[in-house]
Amino acid sequence: MTPVTVVWRYLQGRFVTSALTVVSVALGVSLVIASVLLTRGIKEGFIAGATDYNLIVGAKGSPTQLVLNVVFRMDAPTPNIPLSAYEDLRADPRVEAAVPVAMGDAYQGFRYVATSEAYFAPLPWRRHLPALATGRLFRSDAPERPDYEAVLGADAARGTGLKPEDRFYEGEEMAAYPLRVVGVLRPTGTADDRAIFISLASYWEMNEISRKAMIKPLTAILIRPKRLSDLTALHRGWNVGPDLQAALPSAILLNIFNLLGLVEDVLAVVLAVVAVVVGLYLFVTMYNATLERRREIATMRALGARRATVLGIVLLESCVIAGLGGLAGILGGHGVAALGASLLAARGGPVTHALALSALQPVTFGAVVALGALAGLLPAVLAYRTEVAENLAPL
Amino acid sequence: MTPAGPVLSLRGVTKSFPLADGGALQVLDVEHLEVPAGDCTVIRGRSGSGKTTLLNLIAGVSAPTGGTIVVHGTEITALPEARRDRFRAERIGYVFQAFNLLPAFSALENVVLAMMFARAIPRREQRTRAGAILTRLGLGARLGHKPGQLSRGEQQRVAIARALANDPPLILADEPCASLDAATAHEVLAVLLAVCREAAKTLLVVSHDEAVLGAGDRLLDMGTINARAGAAG
Repeated sequence: MTPVTVVWRYLQGRFVTSALTVVSVALGVSLVIASVLLTRGIKEGFIAGATDYNLIVGAKGSPTQLVLNVVFRMDAPTPNIPLSAYEDLRADPRVEAAVPVAMGDAYQGFRYVATSEAYFAPLPWRRHLPALATGRLFRSDAPERPDYEAVLGADAARGTGLKPEDRFYEGEEMAAYPLRVVGVLRPTGTADDRAIFISLASYWEMNEISRKAMIKPLTAILIRPKRLSDLTALHRGWNVGPDLQAALPSAILLNIFNLLGLVEDVLAVVLAVVAVVVGLYLFVTMYNATLERRREIATMRALGARRATVLGIVLLESCVIAGLGGLAGILGGHGVAALGASLLAARGGPVTHALALSALQPVTFGAVVALGALAGLLPAVLAYRTEVAENLAPL
Repeated sequence: MTPAGPVLSLRGVTKSFPLADGGALQVLDVEHLEVPAGDCTVIRGRSGSGKTTLLNLIAGVSAPTGGTIVVHGTEITALPEARRDRFRAERIGYVFQAFNLLPAFSALENVVLAMMFARAIPRREQRTRAGAILTRLGLGARLGHKPGQLSRGEQQRVAIARALANDPPLILADEPCASLDAATAHEVLAVLLAVCREAAKTLLVVSHDEAVLGAGDRLLDMGTINARAGAAG
């Protein structure tokens, strides 16, 4: 028999109280782990989903809305802009690449993104290049003769169950003009995974059929300047007019991170309060247990146990409860984070690597055990100072 | 090795407890007491006469206000607390009136626990030895039972087994039969005396129970031992 066996017997002897305390610790730790993992996952999701383009031109309004909608497919689309804006930018000698984008409706929750083949162009500076897993990209079709071809992001393909050569449509009026799947993209960890890419010609024609709209609208244009020194001038120039704006995705991302930083600060305060509450609960449990066991502690001392031994047993018990709660909480926290991440991803939220192993898990476990030691310290000192002769008699 | 002469010797031992008014209540004043090795000595005394206080001092679980206590050649009153704890674990067995078994542990584990604290018996031998002692005391079929599953007589026998766990030369028993009915008390006392005599242990029993008084080799009166104390403890 060892002090660990003694502690284990004590835990078994007060099973309900011990289990409830472990569950309380686990809930607190789960909250910490899930919050940290999800916050980090969202942050990394924004980083992973960031665009390679330096400037986005769209309709006048909120630049955050423009970037969130065009890059991360969140928020409502901004109003349409004329095709002429794209033609002007393509003709601008300062622009290396201009990619037109039109955000459409959704099919089974996956948004149509109409664009040109330039969106998939393997340019050397592109970090997030959508690559085909199967099939091919849609053809560059003429506006008057659209091919109605679609390329699906990885999640969109999985979610809809569509595969190359499958045909689909949304709305009875489109039954005669179904889209045909020609390719599926590899997972990118970006909002592209949840997109259904179609050509602008197909999109405009679908608009004309379903809404009788004769215009050829765009939502935004992604811009890469030839020289970064031209970025400021382009940004300023496209913000002068009354109808269009140019937004810097990096600046918007910085704003989002600042907001996330505020959320993290508030979360840190909440989690600190949770740690205090859990620590107090553990302390009360151990304190009551020690008071209840004064006679047993006195008996152990009468049998020859040193003061340090009974102190160690109480501390160890507190640490074991905290440790078990910590382990359960880390596992539970990962479960909650996985659930939260999947729910968030299903709603198009940018979240990635929510379950990545890092220093978080061992540091949290160590901190919980240290909290257990701290909570058990006073009860342990109480056990240490228990007067043997006074407590040997029946209570 | 058993030392020549008494296994236990008390000289000028006093014990006082502080009072709220700043004074002190003296509960024990033993000028001289010796217990010879291998004997069963019974100290009788009425309730509150200081019997338990005397045993606690001999066991070293509380310190005397004055005087010296020598157990098996070691002046325990001069030992620092940690060494006194170790000495008690190895050299003194203690049987309590209310058994004081730990309810979360089985009968076997209660006995092994005493060995764990003493660290005198190798760990791999502890369970075997504890099982053998309990079997000797008629509890071979009860090793895995928790105290709550045992009768009072069985619980006291587990407590006796625990006192014998580290093979101490001196066994102290504080009213060992007070919590038992007459038949069980007789049975438990017989077992206690038998195992102590069998292993040549020195047994010091304090009791006010008539059944116990005639069982020992020597009978001492607490009133005589503690004649100088001003009040009872």
